Amino acid sequence: MQKSNSRCAARRATVGIALASALAMTGCAAGTAQSNSDQVTLNTIFLPATWGTVVKDQLAPLYEEETGVKVNVELIGRDAIHEKVATLFAGQDSSYDIFNLDYNWIPEFGEGGHLVPLDDAITADDKSDFLPLALDVSTWEGQLLGIPQTIHPAVLWYNSALYSDAATQADYLAATGEELAAPTTMDEWFEQVKFFDGRTFNGQELSGWAAQAAKGFGNVHTWLSFAYSYDCEPFNADFTQSTLSTPECIEATERWAEMMEYMPAGANEFTYDNVTTAAQQGTIATAVQWSWGQFATDDPASSQTVGQWEIVEMPEGPRGTSAGHLAAWVISVSKYSQNVDEAVKFAAWLETKKNDVFQASNGGGDPVRASSYSDPELTEQTLEGNDALRFRRLPTVLAAMESAKERPFFPGEEIWETTLSTELSAISLGERSVEEGLARADEAQNRNLSQ
Amino acid sequence: MTPGLLFLAAVAIYPTIYSLVISFTRWRLTTGGDPVFVGFENYAGLLADPSFWNSVRVTLVFVVAAVVIEFLLAFGLALVFFRGLPGEKIMRSLILIPMLCAPVVVGLLARFSLEPTFGVVNQLMRSVGLPTTEFLGSPDLALPTLIVIDVWQWTPFLFLIFLAAMQGLPEEIIEASKLDGASWPRIIWHQFLPLLKYPIMVGVLLRLIDTFRVYDIVFMTTRGGPIDVTSTMSWQIYDVGFRSFTISYAAAYSWLLLLLVLVVVNSLIRKMVARS
Repeated sequence: MQKSNSRCAARRATVGIALASALAMTGCAAGTAQSNSDQVTLNTIFLPATWGTVVKDQLAPLYEEETGVKVNVELIGRDAIHEKVATLFAGQDSSYDIFNLDYNWIPEFGEGGHLVPLDDAITADDKSDFLPLALDVSTWEGQLLGIPQTIHPAVLWYNSALYSDAATQADYLAATGEELAAPTTMDEWFEQVKFFDGRTFNGQELSGWAAQAAKGFGNVHTWLSFAYSYDCEPFNADFTQSTLSTPECIEATERWAEMMEYMPAGANEFTYDNVTTAAQQGTIATAVQWSWGQFATDDPASSQTVGQWEIVEMPEGPRGTSAGHLAAWVISVSKYSQNVDEAVKFAAWLETKKNDVFQASNGGGDPVRASSYSDPELTEQTLEGNDALRFRRLPTVLAAMESAKERPFFPGEEIWETTLSTELSAISLGERSVEEGLARADEAQNRNLSQ
Repeated sequence: MTPGLLFLAAVAIYPTIYSLVISFTRWRLTTGGDPVFVGFENYAGLLADPSFWNSVRVTLVFVVAAVVIEFLLAFGLALVFFRGLPGEKIMRSLILIPMLCAPVVVGLLARFSLEPTFGVVNQLMRSVGLPTTEFLGSPDLALPTLIVIDVWQWTPFLFLIFLAAMQGLPEEIIEASKLDGASWPRIIWHQFLPLLKYPIMVGVLLRLIDTFRVYDIVFMTTRGGPIDVTSTMSWQIYDVGFRSFTISYAAAYSWLLLLLVLVVVNSLIRKMVARS
């Protein structure tokens, strides 16, 4: 009996080991870039924003048709991409070949030597067509570590229907003695925000403005546009010292915090989507939002304000500076990929002149090539059932790219955002004064830098 | 025996020892270098870090408030159901539903329900003339709201344990106490609580350990905010380990959390055993 039991146990153990091995093998195989006798398969991760879905649904199948190289596209959220990429790199894992990266991760992953230099992937002619700032934020220590896929500077949105409404214009003139027009300075904008807040337009009660304000990165990204327009530099030149307590940074933060009072209820939790929804519903007068987001307000299926939102560059601060904070996503190739050559080819192909226009035309973010901004395929498109130009924002985006500024471009940027975000959250909720919050952020960031 | 031990060593002992070892190093995953031994630097850094002490405070408030409220509610509900109610079976099933939901789902549900603009809770409040309330965005309300969510989800767990234990009590003891003229509160205090001591201990300890690890609800609702009022130790460990990728600092953080749980749970067990 005992013998039979032990035989039975041994058999069970053998089956168990076999099953575990099979599972492990299939599990490993599932994530590995495979190349059978004929076909190369590239595994990629993109953001589930429109530029990611365009790649997944349209460009990847097209590339397979043209070249025979199969491209699997996995769409995952921003934070999840950062987590996944960092852990894959730490394990020198070759499961994925290409990653869609937020540009502020380029120094972090570049410093670790995890990304393939792409300088030779595009020709010098091609390079000169890319927007200079888009290339700058894809480059770390002289090496191009990502091919820019989309850029979108923060710009000021305003509801043109509201601004051209005769009754509103008359009221504004009576209240301020000024003509109502898109604001060009921070003070002018603040006046307008206060004027609009609480008014009713088209049956909707308005808030003065909206912007990303959630703790994490949203409030930092909005604050940066204020900071830059007020000439605030969060760091010294070599990123060894946090400099948030300068008069310029304090002034910028005071204005940002003051203006937070004119955002809609629950604004402290506002993400990009909340701002877009408020714009689509017409419940805000102005917004600081990515340029590219305008396409969502022009979608008749979800927006009540089709064709109404216009954009201008960030209003000038007290010293005449206008500088929106830059957002951009790039396409990078993993150093651990087993198909580096094929991956580089695909990354470069995604941003050929033709595909840059194709992506923009399909809602996939604003173009990264200067020539795309004058391409008739974009500039002449009108909205369905509306005379407004679909890409009416492009001239302003191109102009904004001249003055837009990137996030502090150093390997510890992600940690810096987390640190600053907590203090900005405390300031906007009135839990700490501007000076105290910025001093604490300086202290915490300098502690991070010393570790 | 040996395969079992090997399995245990592979999935529990090795990672535990490994995390202890890296807690004495400086190691950031993204920089690509090897861990550098720094002794107790991470632990010293943590003890001098205000955000660490904030997370300890937040965790303790969350744990104590959630477990005490869950205990009181579950015990009360078990007493009500213990003597039988009309429609008892349906009500019991309804009470258990929250516990059956994944915490991530509960977090998502809470986030949408409590959203100030379109959330159902605020819509209901506005319909009866109450002002819009930022449950998850207010520094005063965010932590109490998370406690309420945890209580809503996990009271059924203690209820189930307490009810099963009560239904196992000998009926004669209750009858005898009644014959002696004892009131219900006296019966509960002098008979139920001593007799149910061990089920209560097991239930409360399980909840203590579980609430110390609270992470999913924080992740889905407040992400440690507003400011840092809901930044529990588990959340901070995630933040340090998987956003900043300072994996050695996160390991030290985890060991301090483990130490805290062990101290609290052990002292509770000792007290209860000593009293018995």
